[in-house]
Amino acid sequence: MDSRRHTLETVSLRKEYPGTVALRDVSLRCEGGEIRALLGKNGAGKSTLVRLLGGAVQPTSGAILVDGHTVRFRSPREASRRGIATVHQELSLIPGLSIAENIFLGRLPRRHGLIDWRTACRMAEALLAELGLALDVRSPAGKLGVAQQQMIEIAKAMSLAPSVLMMDEPTSALAHRETDRLFTLLKRLAAKGVVVLYITHRLEEIHRVADAVTVLRNGELVRTIPIADANAGTIVGMMFGATVRKERPPEPPPSSAPVMEVRSFSRGEAYSGISFTLHEGEILGIAGVLGAGRTELLRGLFGADPHDAGSVTVGGRTVFPSFPAQMKRLGVALAPEDRKAEGLVQILSTRVNINLASFWPPSLHWITTARRERSVARRYVHEMDIAVQSLDSPASNLSGGNQQKVVLAKWLDTGPRVLLLDEPTRGIDVQAKQQVFDIVRGLSAQGIAFLVVSSELEELMDVCHRILILKKGRTAGELLPHDGTLENLIRLCME
Amino acid sequence: MHGIARFRPLVGSAVLEIVLVVLCLFLAAVAPYFLTAENLLNVLRNVSMQGLIALGMTLVIIAGEIDLSVGSMVAFAGCLTAWLTGALGSSGWGLPAPLAVGAAILSSLAVGFMSGALAGVLRNRFGVPSFISTLALLTALSGAAELITNGFPLTPFPAWYNFIGGGYVLGVPFPAMVFILAFAGTHVLMNYTSFGRAVYAVGGNAEAARLSAINIHAVRTAVLALTATLAAASGVMQSSEIMSGTATTAKGWELDVIAAVIIGGTSLAGGVGRVWGTMIGVVFLGIIMNGMTLLNVSEYWQHVVRGGLILLAVLINRMERRGR
Repeated sequence: MDSRRHTLETVSLRKEYPGTVALRDVSLRCEGGEIRALLGKNGAGKSTLVRLLGGAVQPTSGAILVDGHTVRFRSPREASRRGIATVHQELSLIPGLSIAENIFLGRLPRRHGLIDWRTACRMAEALLAELGLALDVRSPAGKLGVAQQQMIEIAKAMSLAPSVLMMDEPTSALAHRETDRLFTLLKRLAAKGVVVLYITHRLEEIHRVADAVTVLRNGELVRTIPIADANAGTIVGMMFGATVRKERPPEPPPSSAPVMEVRSFSRGEAYSGISFTLHEGEILGIAGVLGAGRTELLRGLFGADPHDAGSVTVGGRTVFPSFPAQMKRLGVALAPEDRKAEGLVQILSTRVNINLASFWPPSLHWITTARRERSVARRYVHEMDIAVQSLDSPASNLSGGNQQKVVLAKWLDTGPRVLLLDEPTRGIDVQAKQQVFDIVRGLSAQGIAFLVVSSELEELMDVCHRILILKKGRTAGELLPHDGTLENLIRLCME
Repeated sequence: MHGIARFRPLVGSAVLEIVLVVLCLFLAAVAPYFLTAENLLNVLRNVSMQGLIALGMTLVIIAGEIDLSVGSMVAFAGCLTAWLTGALGSSGWGLPAPLAVGAAILSSLAVGFMSGALAGVLRNRFGVPSFISTLALLTALSGAAELITNGFPLTPFPAWYNFIGGGYVLGVPFPAMVFILAFAGTHVLMNYTSFGRAVYAVGGNAEAARLSAINIHAVRTAVLALTATLAAASGVMQSSEIMSGTATTAKGWELDVIAAVIIGGTSLAGGVGRVWGTMIGVVFLGIIMNGMTLLNVSEYWQHVVRGGLILLAVLINRMERRGR
């Protein structure tokens, strides 16, 4: 690896998608030797920037310069050949292949035209040693835990001898010790002249690893400040701008009758000791950064994934959630985070999907099922204003917002007491968001309780009666939107 | 492709039905015997035993599973029925023949049910794909059939036993009756009951189905057990038709059955398919074979033609789906 200082520069970089500008004329300069933290809330343009630099998408206008030369990447492969390595948040290892093969996938060393496994393994071992890992590089990658897989991803990026290394929330899966090791490594790389771009949600990490902080907001670059000036207040201010307090519509306070009591709910490292009480008609938000255990908690409460300890009391009955049908009987419902893959059966019709949660246990009034199906579907399409061409066309034709409404309808048909909503507004447009929240408020007024996980903290402030803050799998506080401010909430989540 | 695309609006999704009618008209014109009640009932009898299994197989494939053991199950159930009839009746316990036959049939059906349920449990508990477990059953059941018969046909049946596979009710072959009743049953099950809907959901997206509180394990086990039971029933009828338990019977039926289901428009990927389509697929294959026999086409050619037809039917299905 040569020791000269690499540079990365963008000049008026712009990316437009039909209807929106994802990145607005961003000019940025990073030098080797420093670790630059990139911050911004969801939708600020961070991932667009990473995708542009990594060659996954092409800019609408503007230029990218590496070491002073303009570069144009048509694919991630071209970018990686030019020395730009990206470690994505999602794991992309092939579980059945060995660690060594995963690291050098597509670039395995050859001798006489055949793969030279001995060299490959030796090189892989050397890379892992640098990360402080002693693993058998011949064993399959799928056997490793998530944190170790993440480390292999990092080794894979390192194997490119990159001049620019981008890391997208690499620590969300890592334990403390591994995070330390990663930071040491990043500092060593930076010292060698590599440009390190580090994306995170965790403010405390920035101070441990970064030299400067660049903040994006609404696709624009706000400012770059040295780490010395970066206290929580400044950063939050830069990320969210001047926040205007919206007037909440007056609403009746939720009743004091508990519908769901969660006691010492725990699962391994994902979450532990979670206790709270949900009241009739209450909308309880769960805030926290990525990896705080929010989704895992909801799935645990619904019995979709196993948990280790703790109990849930719903409507006076105490249970250990172990499968969805059991929780449905108690009146608990889940709208999962990944609507497309887990909320709906895409190839089946809207009509069937609206009835999906009512199929089990099979009904005894069997002959009437088809007619009932249609009338139920019609009713919800009408009540929830679901834009659908035909009840019989596949649900995959629906827009994100309408799909979410179908998921809600599917559960309303079972007469639930508690709805668990995981990122209910992800990927849906502003108007649909408003509609979804109107539906939630309306149902809450009828006494249905909600547990809402969302990365959009403003939304939680807007719609919830109360917000629980989850940090590294533990309850870290509680906030009442009427009394607290958005800045408070953000700082509680991120610090 | 363009040609087909152009006339699609005309035929809608009934391509196969139309091809079937055209085929029948053609055969009626070139082979006068084709359109006689005797021949058509004969076709119906010929297809009914495989058809019965195909109905269950449709459910299995819609649920995203497969059952390769049905051919062996037919042979095994036939042999088991014969062996038990002998062992419980004249050559063993000495039970009266009707009682011995009845007990033997019920036992065979129960064994079929349990074999399918076993594949379901293996799938649910241990994640063994049904492709693998039923492949193992295919071999094991076929071996078991040889074991209980010692490699020779068993012939313990009283003469009246022939009614089940060879008899007529109101002029209709008894197996055809069973097939048509089973068709009506599975058609209603899949289209008018919540269980049928759950089968589609599990095959379309098992995780979404699970998170919609559908017991996906129960669905898989139920469809696999149903199909194996139907295969056992088919085996009983087969043994009645040939009046013996023969281990070498029904070899390769699993592929004929799956072919009929696929021709009927059911997707091997799961979540898509119709019982009615399978009915058409079964009848279609039966008429093709009958027609070629009537036209004196050699048996070797019959196989080649059938292979081509399977491909063609799947292609038509694909194009239709892409057109939507």
